[in-house]
Amino acid sequence: MNTSQWHDALRELTGVTGVLGALIVSADDGLVVAETAMDELATADVAALAAAVVSRAGRCTDAMRAGVPSSLHLAAEQGALLAMAGPPPLWLVAVARHDAELGRLRLLLRDFAGALR
Amino acid sequence: MTDVSLPPASAALQGLAFLELGERLRQRGQFAAAASVALAGLGHYPDVADAHDLLARIRTDQGHDAGAIAAWHAALECDPGHVGARKGLAFIAFRARDFTTAERQLELAAMQAPHDASVLAALDRVRSVQPVSAAEDEPRFTDPSGGLLLYDLQGMRLAGGIGESDDAALADAVAAEAAGLSREAARAARLLGLGRIRHLVLETADARVAVMPVAHDAALLLRRGAAIPIGRLLALAGRAAQAADDWLGRMR
Repeated sequence: MNTSQWHDALRELTGVTGVLGALIVSADDGLVVAETAMDELATADVAALAAAVVSRAGRCTDAMRAGVPSSLHLAAEQGALLAMAGPPPLWLVAVARHDAELGRLRLLLRDFAGALR
Repeated sequence: MTDVSLPPASAALQGLAFLELGERLRQRGQFAAAASVALAGLGHYPDVADAHDLLARIRTDQGHDAGAIAAWHAALECDPGHVGARKGLAFIAFRARDFTTAERQLELAAMQAPHDASVLAALDRVRSVQPVSAAEDEPRFTDPSGGLLLYDLQGMRLAGGIGESDDAALADAVAAEAAGLSREAARAARLLGLGRIRHLVLETADARVAVMPVAHDAALLLRRGAAIPIGRLLALAGRAAQAADDWLGRMR
């Protein structure tokens, strides 16, 4: 998948009802690699915070001897953050409202994360 | 479901040819001879889990369920991750219509072998016949092998364990890391304007894990095999969180 296809995928993700933005994040440094988002979403913050949660999740599953996380779904009262591992160190991340189509979003994230090469 | 498994391919290389011989005799229906071979082998190799597994399968064929259960427990003492022993114990429980135990054993097997089609198929079958009841997966905070860990946000374990063993040091280490994860997730949700966290679900190749807040200063972690549907995982975690809330209230 080239960068143009990355942006196509991100646009498809943000086309899902309730999705505020989608981005490709480098989990090593918490920086945005590519993004498509509504203006209200601070994508740099999303990248940094998602990378921090992913890092903590990895430490937790490592302590559990459960392997490396391949996906993460943080659900909160007003919305959700979903992240799916791509080729290291990339993660595909989406932020959605609480009423978003999370099932469909999750499936798309998984498909696109697997194609991020 | 089946209790049949193939003899280990490396048996001959390890000088454990009696495993193959015993298995062949078992498959031919010569159970007494197979048991003699297995017992003689165990006399020389008492720490080989596959030898106990072989004896257990022979005992099952002979209709000696108690002997089979004892042998499979012996196999698990030698190798806590022995999938065959878990499947065997699940088979005996299933036959006795103890579906909760059968499912639990298969979930533990699935943790060890998340891509084993026979384990996943057996899990599906157990779940398809298991009546839905309030007792299903009752939260067990005092059972370290229950896959349910309750901890405070300072990283101290309050109760439970992570499922694969009753290793308290391991559970303490997980509680410390899980508390860090809970705090980081709550911080991310707050700074992104998402409000209070409801739950966090992690997936790995081997496991699905739900993390859920309990009261204002604690959280629980529920670990199950990768085969469990996420909705069911969250339903179980929700029930456990409610029970944990009550338990903490009584403790305080």
